[in-house]
Amino acid sequence: MYNKLKPYIMLTPVLAVISSVFISGLVMGFLQSLGHFSVIGMKQFTFKYYKEVFMDRGFLESLKFSLYISFVSSVTAVIAGALLAYSILQNKHNKGIEQLLYKLPVIVPHSVAALLAYNMLAQSGIASRILYHMGIINAQTDFPSLVFDKNGAGILFAYLWKEIPFVAMVVYAIWRNMNDQLSEAALNLGANKRQVFWHVLLPLAMPTIASTFIIIFAFSFGAFEIPYLLGPTAPKTLPVKAYIEYTNPDLTHRPYTMAINMILTLISLFLLWLYNKAFQLISKYNHESRT
Amino acid sequence: MSQIELRNICKKFENKRILHHVNLLVQEGEMISLLGPSGCGKTTTLKIIAGLMEPDAGDILFNDTSILNIPVEKRGAIIVFQDYLLFPHLTVEENIEFGLKMAKVKKSKRREKVREMIDLVQLEGHEKKYPKELSGGQKQRVAIARALAIEPKVLLLDEPFSNLDTRLREIMREFICDIQRKFKITMILVTHDKEEALMTSSKIAVMLDGEIKQFGTPKEIYERPVSSLVADFFGEKNYVDGEIKEGIFYSIMGSFQTGLHKNGRVRAMIRPEEIEITPKGNIAGIIKNKTYAGEKIYYIIDCNGKRLKCITNGKTFYNIGEKINVYINFDNIVFFER
Repeated sequence: MYNKLKPYIMLTPVLAVISSVFISGLVMGFLQSLGHFSVIGMKQFTFKYYKEVFMDRGFLESLKFSLYISFVSSVTAVIAGALLAYSILQNKHNKGIEQLLYKLPVIVPHSVAALLAYNMLAQSGIASRILYHMGIINAQTDFPSLVFDKNGAGILFAYLWKEIPFVAMVVYAIWRNMNDQLSEAALNLGANKRQVFWHVLLPLAMPTIASTFIIIFAFSFGAFEIPYLLGPTAPKTLPVKAYIEYTNPDLTHRPYTMAINMILTLISLFLLWLYNKAFQLISKYNHESRT
Repeated sequence: MSQIELRNICKKFENKRILHHVNLLVQEGEMISLLGPSGCGKTTTLKIIAGLMEPDAGDILFNDTSILNIPVEKRGAIIVFQDYLLFPHLTVEENIEFGLKMAKVKKSKRREKVREMIDLVQLEGHEKKYPKELSGGQKQRVAIARALAIEPKVLLLDEPFSNLDTRLREIMREFICDIQRKFKITMILVTHDKEEALMTSSKIAVMLDGEIKQFGTPKEIYERPVSSLVADFFGEKNYVDGEIKEGIFYSIMGSFQTGLHKNGRVRAMIRPEEIEITPKGNIAGIIKNKTYAGEKIYYIIDCNGKRLKCITNGKTFYNIGEKINVYINFDNIVFFER
């Protein structure tokens, strides 16, 4: 019994510091979202800020925009990432630079990715200049406004640039570590290469792809810097909206901000639950075939 | 079912010779063993037959027709892999129907075939289980059912019993032999276990260093090996150097009449079980060592300065240092030229 508890006891000091900061922040945020903000004399518990949030058209627009950005970027990233992983897997002779190149965006910080997206896609950016010099557009202003646009093209570009290699890296690692002979067994049983992909490789990587999807969905849903740097004035993504509301000098506005944050937290907890489900699916197969 | 012929198959990996002019003829409906130590090229041979690898040279014929240009998925030479390689995300019945599904066989027919295979391999009640929920023997049965479901032209078994315990190995060995007899399917069994090869196959191809050194019936291979390399693969032997002149074998142990009519320097191969300790023996010896192994006793006997290994049935005991006589029938001894 003691041996079982020993690691937890030894970790207690650091866990206590981390969890107290995290839990107290969460509890305080929750209390404030319920209108309890004693510093400025608000002591009544109420759900009115949640009601206000859900009645606020701006919040609903932001929620919709955040879900749209997260969903489109995550779905596109997992599909493109899985295909990229498969093409790397097929090209068994690639070594060195090709193997390294696709991983590079993963280690680049998001703020740098935002800068890259801005430099590439802004009307004064590299893409518009190239098209202008090639004579495809008459003026740089003819280039579509992909940064700060309402469809979030700049945000999506930055996310995809970061996330596709991330998905490819994770899925490729799964396929590479999977026993090669499973593909051979499928071929031997009469499957062609396409069938091997659809009936063996993809289903085996599916739990990983699903959990990767949830990770990047949760990240892009809660991420702040890229939508802040590349997003439109309106609608804003939820984290940007929450930040702007938080920096409002009127402290009576704080419960409204905290209600937004609590909704973000709830959605993140739901994604965590989904992630656990996906993880259970992975252990269901328990890849005995990986060697 | 097909007759399989390998003609001068060669294969190299990174300049390392794996197969060197392998020739083999397996008759339709025959079960043969490819016997050899690990790394001798057995699995490579199977993969080349199945189409998972291409030979550098040579040809493979099924019923006298070259199949080198037929891709793996259409070749019909199915391997039952050593690690079973069941698809972990599919249930037992989904694994069995995999090949039929890939061939786009109608669902009703697939179901029927799966049912038939489940009955054949006696896995009723396990249809919905995933591979990780099965024992080694059950996995083996699923792998066999999965291969048989698509009615292969030839079944290639890659060390199928190596992951099973002794008792299960015997059961599965018998099971595979039953299937072979029932379906008259052409089978090649790859193994490094001499007993397995001797007990299951109508013929054995002994493979060493990427070459087939001898191909024949178990009796031929065991009793008349063509070289000491082949002989050694079937267990420890005694080798006595000497010379034959006019049918008499002259050696350090003495001179003995043989049935041979040739002259020259030879090496006699004497199996430990061919040495009989008896008062009527033709060679005098002294027991130098004794190892008790239950039903058998292993002795080391010094016969005029030549130490011979001998196995007895354990009914009579001899002590170390005891003087005895041994009888060797040199008419039955194999002589290799030196």
